[in-house]
Amino acid sequence: MSSLTSTSTTTGSAAAGSKGTGQLPRFLKGMPWLVWRQHRTVFLTVLGVSALAVACIVFQRSQLHIAGYTHVSTGLRLVPILLGVLLGAPLFAGDLENGTAKLVVTQSVDRTRWLTAKLALTALVVVVSTVALSAAFGWWWDLYKAEVTATEWISESTFNTTGPVPVALALFSVFGGVAIGVLLRRTLVAMAVTLGFTVAVQLVWSHFLLSLGDVVTLTTGNGAVDEYPALIVPTGAYRVGEASYITGDGSLLGRDTCAEAQTSQALELCLKKADVVGWSVDHLPMSQMNGMQWFGASILLALTAVVTVFLFFWGRKRLT
Amino acid sequence: MHAGEPALEAHGLGMRHRRGWALRDCSFRLPAGRICGLVGPNGAGKTTLLSIAAQVLEPTRGTLSLFGAAPGAADPGRTAFLAQEQPLFRGFTVAETLRLGRELNPRWDQRAAEDVVRAGDVPLDAKVGTLSGGQRTRVALALALGKRPDLLLLDEPMANLDPVARKELMGTLLGEAAERGTTVLMSTHVLAELEDLCDYLVVLSGGEVRLAGDVDELLSVHTVVTGAKEGEGLPASLAHHPLVESRFSGRQFTALIRPDGPVTGPGEADDPGLEELLLAYLRSPEAPPLITPTAQVRAQDQAYDTRTVAA
Repeated sequence: MSSLTSTSTTTGSAAAGSKGTGQLPRFLKGMPWLVWRQHRTVFLTVLGVSALAVACIVFQRSQLHIAGYTHVSTGLRLVPILLGVLLGAPLFAGDLENGTAKLVVTQSVDRTRWLTAKLALTALVVVVSTVALSAAFGWWWDLYKAEVTATEWISESTFNTTGPVPVALALFSVFGGVAIGVLLRRTLVAMAVTLGFTVAVQLVWSHFLLSLGDVVTLTTGNGAVDEYPALIVPTGAYRVGEASYITGDGSLLGRDTCAEAQTSQALELCLKKADVVGWSVDHLPMSQMNGMQWFGASILLALTAVVTVFLFFWGRKRLT
Repeated sequence: MHAGEPALEAHGLGMRHRRGWALRDCSFRLPAGRICGLVGPNGAGKTTLLSIAAQVLEPTRGTLSLFGAAPGAADPGRTAFLAQEQPLFRGFTVAETLRLGRELNPRWDQRAAEDVVRAGDVPLDAKVGTLSGGQRTRVALALALGKRPDLLLLDEPMANLDPVARKELMGTLLGEAAERGTTVLMSTHVLAELEDLCDYLVVLSGGEVRLAGDVDELLSVHTVVTGAKEGEGLPASLAHHPLVESRFSGRQFTALIRPDGPVTGPGEADDPGLEELLLAYLRSPEAPPLITPTAQVRAQDQAYDTRTVAA
């Protein structure tokens, strides 16, 4: 193979290659060359925009500025959706729609190699850009970590934009978009359906986000009047549900107990009568953030692997 | 590669699409080195047959083997396929399109491909999307020929070309094929051109093979009888010959028959023209199909068929 490639380079590519193909990376050969050439505009756009965003974040962070933080985090939350629609959905749908799939699979190369090259290069672009964005944004978020507002860690604007989560969300959205494109075989329809799919992924993810952690119950026994639930839990912990009163025999009472008491004395008396000795607060400590992110990301990556297996299984026969 | 070796053998080939069978029980053989025309009305299954041969589609039933290889195991480098819509990447330059051929085909012949492109004055740095229909066909053909195939599958290759470009491109194509002994299987609507281009023929209609064989052989076994009509229908003397088509105009009758003995009685017997023969078969779906001995699949090869169907 390599000897043949080098002979043909001497015969023809010197003339032909210098003009139209000179700007291409020389290390790309065979199928990866085709995939890069076909999708280089969108690949370079994704990488370029990500690099620009990373540069802005790093600059702001190094100046200890927080201006634009919210906008950037909103933008990052849209990244999986954008990548799924713009990169994933058209990846094969375009070739299936305009017939170039037939052109590629009738060359001397096995169609599994085509699938592999497209998926691998796309995954590489997605991983490189999202890892860079996630790392940069995570560094910026460090400024907030020590503050009380750190309960933010559980919100989508932090949880979904740092650590492995944006990478896994983007990969799953993109590969889902690829599968949708392969099934629907029409670029625009595939993009529209992928938009719906990626938004649904975000909603389902948000819905199950809290379930990724182990809820910790913290109880106190120093009376309930002078303490506030927000202050008992460690900094940054996210309280799950309402705090409850806990009585001497360990049973829980709702916070509406003694709600009719007008003064603090009356309240104290009422609580004493009910045998309330302290608080019971369910929460997720911030220390779980990392574990929750990796756990969630591994679920998404497992789903991505399932989609990939499907793509190879389906594409080996039907990719024309 | 000797002359008798089959380039392509179809055994009981069937293909079901959503709206019914596009091909039904197709069996024929194409010897290597032939230029074969694939003829039939729209929807006859020509594109389906070519796509199966190009390994773009998998048949629902039966098998297709290339150069004696086990079905589906043929080296994809030995066949080149020019699909009807002649797909190319519109954003690529001509040079990049040829590079695609070079990157994806170990047997690629850059000089042959560039010669085909240059012969049509197609600039190498032009974007494919800016080319005219004829230039685009030329680039698609260069991509197919640069692959150095042993079997070239062409689906309506000249459909969107003017007569001058068609003649010129056909010349290029046949010159290349003759030089290398390439087998060509080419579907077309233009019956008038078949006689000059092809020495072999497969006629499909309604998904079934109606005629297959060497052109000269096919012509020699048919006879056209014309004469004055006497009473109803054809003269009784023609009744024992298998009939392909009979037509009547005024007091004249014309019958295309496959004589199984000397033709006697009233009327004048003559050799049919290729176009006349094809039209007769295409117009008469009930005429008995004819597959000449060189186009028949050998009995022992059927073993492939039963084995894969059973599996």
